[in-house]
Amino acid sequence: MSGGPLIVQSDKTLLLEIDHPDAQACRMAIAPFAELERSPEHVHTYRLTPLGLWNARAAGHDAEGVVDALIKYSRYPVPHALLVDVAETMDRYGRLQLANDPAHGLVLRALDRVVLVEVAKSKKLAGMLGTKLDDDTIAVHPSERGRLKQALLKLGWPAEDLAGYVDGEAHPIELAEAGKGGGKPWTLRSYQREAVEAFWAGGSGVVVLPCGAGKTLVGAAAMAEAKATTLILVTNTVAGRQWKRELIARTSLTEEEIGEYSGERKEIRPVTIATYQVLTARRGGAFTHLDLFNARDWGLVVYDEVHLLPAPIFRFTADLQARRRLGLTATLVREDGREGDVFSLIGPKRYDAPWKDIESQGWIAPAQCTEVRVTLTDAERMSYATAEAEERYRMAATARTKLPVVRALVDRHPGEQTLVIGAYIDQLHQLGEYLDAPIVQGSTTNKERERLFDAFRSGEIRTLVISKVGNFSIDLPEAAVAIQVSGTFGSRQEEAQRLGRVLRPKSDGRQAHFYTVVSRDTIDTEYAAHRQRFLAEQGYAYTIVDADDVLGPPLPTVD
Amino acid sequence: MTTSLADHLRSLPDDSLAALLQLRPDLVVPVPADVAALAIRAQSRVSVSRALDGLDQFTIQIMDAARLTRDPADGTTSVDGVLAMATAGPRPPAPTAVRAAVDRLRARFLLYGPEHQLQLVGGIDEISPYPAGLGRPAAELDPRTAALCADPAKLRRTLLAAPPSARAILDRLAAGPPVGSVPPGALQAPAAGADDDLPPDETNGGAPTGSPIRWLVDHRLLVRVAGGKGGTAGMVELPREVGLLLRRDTGPLGPLRTSPPPVTTAPREPKAADSAGAGQTMEVVRHTEALLEQLAAEPAPVLRSGGLGVRDLRRLGRATGLDEPTAALLLEVAYAAGLTGEVELPGTTGRYGADQQVLPTAGYEIWRAGSLAQRWEQLTRAWLTMTRQVGLVGQRDDRDRPITVLSAEAERAGAPVARRAVLTVLADLEPATAPTAEEVLALLDWRAPRRSRGREAAHREVLAEAATLGVTGLGALTSYGRLLLAEATAAEDRDTDDPLGLRSDAEDGGSGTAVRALDALLPAPVDHFLVQADLTVVVPGPPEPALAAELEVVAEPESAGGASVHRVTTGSVRRALDAGYSADDLHGLFRRRSRTPVPQGLTYLVDDVARKHGGLRAGSAGAYLRSDDEALLAEVLADKRVEALALRRLAPTVLVTPYQTGRMLTVLRDAGYAPVAEDATGSTVVTRPRTRRAPARVSVSTRALDPLTPPRLPLPRLLGVVEQIRRGDAAARAARRAPAAVRGTPPTRPAPAHSHSDALAVLQQAIRDKALVWVGYVDAHGATASRLVRPVSLGAGYLRAEDERTEMLHTFALHRITAAVLEK
Repeated sequence: MSGGPLIVQSDKTLLLEIDHPDAQACRMAIAPFAELERSPEHVHTYRLTPLGLWNARAAGHDAEGVVDALIKYSRYPVPHALLVDVAETMDRYGRLQLANDPAHGLVLRALDRVVLVEVAKSKKLAGMLGTKLDDDTIAVHPSERGRLKQALLKLGWPAEDLAGYVDGEAHPIELAEAGKGGGKPWTLRSYQREAVEAFWAGGSGVVVLPCGAGKTLVGAAAMAEAKATTLILVTNTVAGRQWKRELIARTSLTEEEIGEYSGERKEIRPVTIATYQVLTARRGGAFTHLDLFNARDWGLVVYDEVHLLPAPIFRFTADLQARRRLGLTATLVREDGREGDVFSLIGPKRYDAPWKDIESQGWIAPAQCTEVRVTLTDAERMSYATAEAEERYRMAATARTKLPVVRALVDRHPGEQTLVIGAYIDQLHQLGEYLDAPIVQGSTTNKERERLFDAFRSGEIRTLVISKVGNFSIDLPEAAVAIQVSGTFGSRQEEAQRLGRVLRPKSDGRQAHFYTVVSRDTIDTEYAAHRQRFLAEQGYAYTIVDADDVLGPPLPTVD
Repeated sequence: MTTSLADHLRSLPDDSLAALLQLRPDLVVPVPADVAALAIRAQSRVSVSRALDGLDQFTIQIMDAARLTRDPADGTTSVDGVLAMATAGPRPPAPTAVRAAVDRLRARFLLYGPEHQLQLVGGIDEISPYPAGLGRPAAELDPRTAALCADPAKLRRTLLAAPPSARAILDRLAAGPPVGSVPPGALQAPAAGADDDLPPDETNGGAPTGSPIRWLVDHRLLVRVAGGKGGTAGMVELPREVGLLLRRDTGPLGPLRTSPPPVTTAPREPKAADSAGAGQTMEVVRHTEALLEQLAAEPAPVLRSGGLGVRDLRRLGRATGLDEPTAALLLEVAYAAGLTGEVELPGTTGRYGADQQVLPTAGYEIWRAGSLAQRWEQLTRAWLTMTRQVGLVGQRDDRDRPITVLSAEAERAGAPVARRAVLTVLADLEPATAPTAEEVLALLDWRAPRRSRGREAAHREVLAEAATLGVTGLGALTSYGRLLLAEATAAEDRDTDDPLGLRSDAEDGGSGTAVRALDALLPAPVDHFLVQADLTVVVPGPPEPALAAELEVVAEPESAGGASVHRVTTGSVRRALDAGYSADDLHGLFRRRSRTPVPQGLTYLVDDVARKHGGLRAGSAGAYLRSDDEALLAEVLADKRVEALALRRLAPTVLVTPYQTGRMLTVLRDAGYAPVAEDATGSTVVTRPRTRRAPARVSVSTRALDPLTPPRLPLPRLLGVVEQIRRGDAAARAARRAPAAVRGTPPTRPAPAHSHSDALAVLQQAIRDKALVWVGYVDAHGATASRLVRPVSLGAGYLRAEDERTEMLHTFALHRITAAVLEK
């Protein structure tokens, strides 16, 4: 028995005990082929998936190495069957290749003829394959490249894509690390550099970094690497403007080179930032803005907040397989369970860093998560108990009892920039009045939003009440306290994104605080538990306090 | 002068005879009466065949050499002769090896007698007619062929002249066996062309189309012999002389190999093999337990034809995440180990016996309590000895029915021998050698060719099963697997050598070494876990039984293997509370077992669930007593006279009793209270005392005044009665009056022809007159009958007539009518 830090489970999960002295070395060894699934405080869970193993194979790791790593770090004997399975799975990769044939264009070529015969017979590939050129080669229509790869993956015979990427229209882009316009010099952080390298080596893929860890810079660096025209897809206009600001500040790009393609403006420039909303807008049943994808010979397509990628965009993306694609997200948890589609259409996960790691390196602020439990009044309990099932969450989440608690929490952190986040407009208005704070909601105009955010950034406004529009892509670096009063049911990624609002590192290294106020003994508590799961798996331990402790005089603390 | 085997055996000292009996134990079953009987049995075909079965390839080849070198005159041979033949090839084996082989044969008395005059045991030629794969001498086959063989130079010339396709056939026959069946038509002359005109060489791959064999037969290189199945044109045999000539490159006996074929695969790291195997043992034990738990939760019915249904196997496999072959293997092994058994379902006994289910047995509980290694040992020992060939499951039997798990069709008596043979081959190799399946099969073939031919599939299966069970790891026999095999063998030896078990105590160290060796490889059980903020509980190793039992109650399993991951959920906490844990017990449990501080979330979860647990109480009662007056209820409760009702206060205004409402009301009323019953909707039920009554009876007043007065009938009914009577009377009269002519002629005498035409005339007259006629006829059963009818029509061979009595229209076939007489 080697006494290593790793326990290999027969369901192909790997448990890594992180307090073990070899844990770091082991993590480096298994990271190429195992996917990090959960990273709570003591034992991290990795999973061996066919996809992960094939990605490792694509990156040049062989089965022998994987097996060696497992055996070397495993604390207990590794079952023979699992080792055999790993070797067999990895052996399936690359029996088929997608390649560019000088005469016939894109072709599917087999190194193992039997596999090609098996695959060609499959009903799932019907219509994707063209004529048979010889025993080992079948022509493929270039537009089917993405779908074919996806289908082959499902059949368990992933193809090695040797067809490469188009370079796109060249456009000079450099990172302005020396500082621009009198700015301070800066450098890419180590993990950002690693993420860009991993992406570039893989060609296409998704980079997962915590909120506030500088995903925009990863995008900028990828553009600097590509040096080509770039299409950036973002969730909303405000986020788009933030991208623009950041790009102007951190790269050689000028204001004139960056276009905005949104509901308000339709500019197509070498670097174009478009919103998902405008792309999926329909007129008379047809998507009217799809030409954007072909408006220029884009060399790189960046998908911001890829976990929100709307379903129609999936379909367009399948046609873009020859272009480099970069997905950026903090939480690759889709409540619709379509993570697999993201991987197969945009590309596999190329880089992932546990939040706590980035935090320990000081790139995101340490955060304390607290769940404040409010006891409903008897009247509220009674009306909750008799409410219709679909009304219950709203009743519990918008209980008036929460208001004084929120105020107490705001008062607890005098001098801190505080965000109060909720989902129900009525409740937000109540809060706005109660706290005497401005509200940003869906109906707030972009201009007004910008004004309020600017005021918040400058410290003019200390407390801001925001609705769901604040879930994503708002850069409010100085926000240090977030108070969540209600949310979209049990959405895990929303919780993580909201925490992300306060994770920007503070100038003085202060701690960030994230409060979520829930009504005790109601469905609100259940949803809260579900929402917290992603963050708990990332190692954020919630402390539960009673509302009375918040409202009452501070008790002598033990710690 | 040769001596008989009996004489020879008689002259042996006792210990030599005993040695023979030890080598050929079948000779003493039953114990022969005398030496003559022993000798006869030793030469019997069955016994000789068994003796040969145990011999390796080389020894059998030497036996063949002895057969080939027999002196035709007296059937004896000599060691020198055998040696000369065995070493005749280009790569001769060491003479000592040949001598050793001869000694082995002599020890078994397959050869006996002095060295220069060895005799062969009788019956050997019946068992394998072609020694060393060579045919009979040409002299025995065909004189013309013998003549050819007598002239070596000509024979060689003829051989060299053979076309390639013919030569290919010769080479195949020369390698043995020397006979082959001839495809139909192969020996017929081609339709056109010269005899020697061979078609293009196409036989080297495909079936010979004819001429090469014809060429060979015509040139006397092959001889036609009797035999062959239908559809073939007989058999051909390669004469011994030709075969020997063709074998000049390999020697007369074919390629000789004095030692087993070598294993060329690189050996594994012993630790790696052991580790992979040990990992597999953990899997096997865990999967078996999961399977049996699943079986306990949902027992599988036994099919009428025996075994478990395919669907049940699939279900069990799905529930435990196993593929079907593995699930089948584990089910079979668990059954063989006595961990599962059939149980008859009560109340289903029918014509074919009761329905049965497969369930874990009591032995399963004991097995579960054992350590991992012990459990594995129990399973693997059962596997070694079970007479089941699990690989057959899923295939189809002779009648094209699928073979199911635990069914009789998968029973193979030879399975344990095959397992022992394969594992022994692995055990005899250097530790951690991982031969390929082909190499193992080659080794088996060399060790006992007569036993292993035709069993390749079974042997491959053994290798696969051994890997699944963790007996082998990375293809090599594990150290503990080797020990287990040695133990099993030793236990058998001990049983035979020490029937009274005298030595078993002394050799205590012998058994259990495999378990100990495996124990050392397996992770030690742990008694703690790590609790994390996401409410997962990680047990970093196999949990000890007490911990496992606790976790089973308080958490849901998420992932299992070397370690196990559980998740604490609302449901699991509630289950623990239901099982009798209190919130404090749970807090204590987590504090005690966890190596890490218990996260606050878990504490809150337990407290939250515990607070709500039992908030609603359910129970049953016979009746309730309620009142808005709490004082009144208190009074009732305190009243000694109603103590018998065992009232219990549920709330200040509600009492319950286990007795029914009626009884409670009576007791309360007797005690002077004034309770009122209410129904399910809460409204008052008014009851009056009920008087006892006998069942209702009818009054006599409804009867007629004088029972003796005859009943009066209304007129229409009377008329009906009269008509009925008249008809009956007419019928009686008619029957009486049927004239002799139509009453039926005796069947012995055919009706005269004229009477039939008379009858027709009478009938025609009657139709015209509309008169009644007596008709005599033979009915469908051949009986004669008569009927008084009024004929209506006559035609198409049928008479239609009315019977006035029954008011029916009858149809008579004319040829059946025997007579007709007018009614007078």
